[in-house]
Amino acid sequence: MVYGKEGYNMPLPSFHYHEPASLVEACRMLASFGEKGILMAGGTDLLVKMKSREVQPENIISLTQLKEINRISFTDNHLTIGAGCTISQIAESAVICSAFPALASGAEHLGSPTVRNMGTIGGNIMTASPAADLPPALMAYGASVRLKSNNQERFLPLEQIFCSPGVTCIKENEILADIHIEKPQEMSGAGFFKLGNRKALQISIINGACYVALNPENGKIQTSRIVLGAVAPIPIRAVSAEEVLMGQKPCADLFEKAGKAAALGCKPIDDLRGSAEYRKDMVGVLTRRTLLSAFEQIERT
Amino acid sequence: MKQTIELSINQQAYTIDIEPHITLLDMLRNELELLGTKRGCEKGDCGTCTVLVNGKPVNACLYLAVRANGKEILTVEGLETDAGLHPLQKGFLEKGAVQCGFCTPGMLMASVSLLDENPTPTEKEVRTAISGNLCRCTGYQHIVDAILSVQEKG
Repeated sequence: MVYGKEGYNMPLPSFHYHEPASLVEACRMLASFGEKGILMAGGTDLLVKMKSREVQPENIISLTQLKEINRISFTDNHLTIGAGCTISQIAESAVICSAFPALASGAEHLGSPTVRNMGTIGGNIMTASPAADLPPALMAYGASVRLKSNNQERFLPLEQIFCSPGVTCIKENEILADIHIEKPQEMSGAGFFKLGNRKALQISIINGACYVALNPENGKIQTSRIVLGAVAPIPIRAVSAEEVLMGQKPCADLFEKAGKAAALGCKPIDDLRGSAEYRKDMVGVLTRRTLLSAFEQIERT
Repeated sequence: MKQTIELSINQQAYTIDIEPHITLLDMLRNELELLGTKRGCEKGDCGTCTVLVNGKPVNACLYLAVRANGKEILTVEGLETDAGLHPLQKGFLEKGAVQCGFCTPGMLMASVSLLDENPTPTEKEVRTAISGNLCRCTGYQHIVDAILSVQEKG
């Protein structure tokens, strides 16, 4: 067999494979293997890194068969998404499509149908790619995550867990169990954008999500969250753009100003997918458009 | 260390001892000599290794064989029955949707799954369903025509 120059097309290195029957057992395994163990969810990212020998774990702890983290539930206006839910499950969920359209859109545009059938929301978060498609939408909705370890569990806002490309602040013995989002208030809207060279299987040149909520009494913007991906080492909030919106009446001019502020406030890099200058320009355009579509959602309801 | 898995492939029961680092693609091709499923990019980008696991299309190159324990696998070899070729296979032949043929097994499996869930897709839905399958002979139009032709016949 001829192997590719870049190291692709190599068979997987060998490893021990473990399928814990519960999250508790998975935590115990992770603690006992320490650095010699790695968690696998959908495998769409991990196995590619193993084929190129970027990662060579001794033990793989597979989370795919854990039914307890495979469910989407919506009770008392609180959405819980198990970390093991596939991207397809999220894109097809009736409650997510109706109440959390920006998240549904992020899921729908991720990878390809086959990748969406294997890849999971937990994997998309924990891989911590700066261009990951779900974190911007999740952060725009103010999502938090539940982290489980052998002897405790804790909740953290999602936006606090990313450190640098591929690295999260989650402790080595912790497993992302589920993602929590409160139903957005009345008079709110949200949208997602993704810019790539083609419609499928593309790593985003930039992506992002916007959430806007109005004060029902005076119609002015009282909450906004604008999140940008692929313009920094981690997904970031466009704070200066959010400040432009705060307390103002929504209108096309205002969204234009917010877009400009988002573009000025981010510091993307040049890489093979796009130049820094192009990214900044597109942040301005797509933030403006997405704010407008979020506002149109409010007007429709 | 080898693990024993029990699974169904093309409606036939198998018990197989397999190393955990062997992908479903390698098990199908090397252990079972089911060579219809093609090896392409090996990283989930080209879709030519697409098979159905419990009715859902996945990239067999990124799916560990041990994960298929207890699952039902359908490969392109399972499409033909005693009654003859699958309607999609006939459609591909009639519409000239095959040039070099390397993407064909993946295209067929992606579209089988689409028609199982949605027997009357629009052209847009067909194009979305095969959006993870690359054809480098640029034959997408004929492939889309072939998939759409199946429903026309009812």
